Amino acid sequence: MFDKLEKILAGAKADYIDIRYEEVRETAIGYSGKELTALSANSSDGFVVRVLDKGGMASVAFTRPEEAGAAVRSAVENAALFSRNMEKPVRLAEAPVIRDTIAPKMAEDPRGITMEEKVELLKKYNNIPLVQPKVVTTSIAYSEVYRKKYYLNSQGSRIQEDLITTGIRGMITAGEGSLTQNIRVGIGGSDGFGAIRGQERHFEEKTKLVLDLLSAEPVKSGTYSCIINPSLAGVFAHEAFGHFSEADIVETLPAMRKRMTLGTKLGNGILNIIDDATRPGQLGFYKYDDEGVAVRPVQLIKDGVLAGRLHSRRTAAEFGEPLSGHCVAEDYRYAPIVRMGTIYIQPGGKGFDELLQGMGDGLYLLDAKGGQTSGENFTFGANYGYQVRQGKIGRLVRDINISGNLYQTLMDISAVGNDLKLSQVGGCGKGQSNIRSCNGGPHIIIDKLIVGGI
Amino acid sequence: MEKLLEMARKAAGQAEVFSAEQTSSSVSFQDAKLYDLKTNFLSGVSLRIIKDGKLGFAYTRNLTDRQGLLDNALHSLRGEVEADYDLPDSRGSQDLITYDPGTAKLTNKELVGEAKRVCEILKTRAAGEIMAGAYASVDSLRILNSRGVDLSQRNSQAGSYSSIIFPGSGSGISRQTQGLEMEKMPEALISEMADLFKQGQKTVQPKGGRMKVLFMPDSMITLLWRISSGLNGRSVYEKVSPNSARLGQRIFSPKLTIFDDPLNDAYPGARAWDDEGMPCQKLPLVERGVLKAFFYDLKYAKKLGTVSTGHGYRGDIWGGDPVTVKPGPFLGHLFIEPGPASLAKLISLMDRGIIMEGAMGAHSGNIPNGDYSIGISPGLYVENGQIVGQVKGAMAAGNIYETLANVVEVGDTLYPSFEGARVPPLLCEGVSVTTKA
Repeated sequence: MFDKLEKILAGAKADYIDIRYEEVRETAIGYSGKELTALSANSSDGFVVRVLDKGGMASVAFTRPEEAGAAVRSAVENAALFSRNMEKPVRLAEAPVIRDTIAPKMAEDPRGITMEEKVELLKKYNNIPLVQPKVVTTSIAYSEVYRKKYYLNSQGSRIQEDLITTGIRGMITAGEGSLTQNIRVGIGGSDGFGAIRGQERHFEEKTKLVLDLLSAEPVKSGTYSCIINPSLAGVFAHEAFGHFSEADIVETLPAMRKRMTLGTKLGNGILNIIDDATRPGQLGFYKYDDEGVAVRPVQLIKDGVLAGRLHSRRTAAEFGEPLSGHCVAEDYRYAPIVRMGTIYIQPGGKGFDELLQGMGDGLYLLDAKGGQTSGENFTFGANYGYQVRQGKIGRLVRDINISGNLYQTLMDISAVGNDLKLSQVGGCGKGQSNIRSCNGGPHIIIDKLIVGGI
Repeated sequence: MEKLLEMARKAAGQAEVFSAEQTSSSVSFQDAKLYDLKTNFLSGVSLRIIKDGKLGFAYTRNLTDRQGLLDNALHSLRGEVEADYDLPDSRGSQDLITYDPGTAKLTNKELVGEAKRVCEILKTRAAGEIMAGAYASVDSLRILNSRGVDLSQRNSQAGSYSSIIFPGSGSGISRQTQGLEMEKMPEALISEMADLFKQGQKTVQPKGGRMKVLFMPDSMITLLWRISSGLNGRSVYEKVSPNSARLGQRIFSPKLTIFDDPLNDAYPGARAWDDEGMPCQKLPLVERGVLKAFFYDLKYAKKLGTVSTGHGYRGDIWGGDPVTVKPGPFLGHLFIEPGPASLAKLISLMDRGIIMEGAMGAHSGNIPNGDYSIGISPGLYVENGQIVGQVKGAMAAGNIYETLANVVEVGDTLYPSFEGARVPPLLCEGVSVTTKA
């Protein structure tokens, strides 16, 4: 394959050029209620070429090998057009030349398991909620995505890395009268099929919860002290803060960039946040990013102070900061952009009961249900929550969305628990999606959060 | 493709071959400087077969191995995914203008030129961080099926978009244009952005409570997703739509008329047939507040004992790649009928309220049920018909069946919104807003 890729680039003249070829094999099985609605295993493939010449940078994605010549020419022309219209040349930070082949370590390779067995397992999990009369429907899908990537650049790197992501995710909907409630389910990871076996309890617990939610009260909107669980803490780390540690986001927002100067105190001194995709056995694991740079752990916040940033070669050069290996693409349809790998709030010393006692009155909110940032403001949903009175967990509440200001909220984190947990399924949409986007944290207390009910 | 169809027909009985090819280019300017230049050449072929009421599905980027693709589809039959519907045999097709040859000739230099032009104008009008971009795309679709359908269509689309970001906040006022050919950002739209931006310079901290909210094109997604979900044949079948028994009943304010019109080729993306080869139609969904129809693809129409309304598309509210996604019910050409009020008039009608330029978290919550709970970012606070400043960290929450029953007035201008929707600004009252004050 590398010879083929060399050939595609052979005629192109540029200061720098790279090419990535990927084969993506996707297995999808879906249930909607009792009905099997999807079952397929398909391969598709394509190429992405990036060109840097005289400071101008451009990319092209194509799927037909016979179009390679035209595609490469268009990227070279676009780089020249960029160069003629730029105010400042694009530079790439120096990166080591790498020749390597990486196969994932897995407990059980999903590719070796029959479709029949996958369907059976999914059906078994799907039936757990469906036997309950108040469960109106489910929407549960098995997904296995195998990316076989070949990366080559004009500086001599040749990397072949395989990524296999396996997961079951979906939603259970329960209803009574005109009220419906739903809850998300999700299990999986990057370390094989083993992660999704023996997970009946996950579906049993979620089923019980969605039924309980039918008789829960909607949360009363207002400002509350909240304990948020690891799932929500992870989404907070990712959505509210993490995107601003992606250098390509702040690079062109001058005011935000200034505010995010390394060394600035951003949060309470007990707060530590890291991005560490190198941790083995978790969803976000990878060795090299999609421009051939080895990923490394990056301490983003240390004792409340902004300590690091996630980079591509382009942004590392622009900021004059070290490479981090965070330039990642969804697949062969996209040029890579700066992405978080595995971002989490690092655990502190407090046990859960201590957090409850410490907070006194407020809400205990659990499980992320989507989140979004718009600049310094963020909003995300919690699947469910409980009232907390004098350190005791009380009634179940539903329909919870929380909102806040990044800077204020980082300061308002007043306690950090000791029970780190990372997410098993991901999905971050920053123009393209990243199903391995992993996040997590321990239980934490945020002193003032706006909670919007209905 | 014909050969593949013939092979598939012999092996399965019913077969459909769908192909899509797209060439697109885009440029983006960030902080008013050229940042990115991209081109895509994407194509692929997708095969759907129905054998003994079961569905098979397979796709590929390069049709080099027909037998391999067919075997893959036949293999997926073993899962016994039910397909008790028949592929259509429609031959008729409306004559729509969906392609402008000028777009294929549009150079990236011209795209750079348009984005740069908008940046230069905005730089002189607003002290914000300016983002802009332009794009052009040309695609062709073809559907062949075993009942004789052979339809193809060529489409073009080009446009321009820009945002003025409030420095330090990362959120801003955005507008876009779309056409069959390059639709330059008109002066009126640029002024509208710049004016709203200027009036949002000051930060204010109003008290929360029930108030008027003016949904603008970028925050309309909150309402549109829930409208689409509540009118989707699939939601009806799955019993998650609250509208199942409300046909002919008033569900929204009489000021609201909502329809889907794929045949309107004044806008890019018009379609004469859907991705299953069913003829498209203008479908009234809500007329003066009264629920008129649900929309269906072949599958859910059959399940509910009705006929497809021509809304089987290979994509959903999350987007999706037409080659790799199976058809499902989708509203791709949603219109809300414009009303009588200019933007200035709408603002003057607000005694107290928020102009919602952006919504966060629109994709979470109980969407089929119509519930929403969103962060407003950015939001401009209005008192006595005057914008007094920007409100930060506010949330709005409610249920669209309550919010859209309380429409004060509908704007007179259609804006492009998400996934082909064209909507006017909507002023609603009594929306619950929470603020930090």
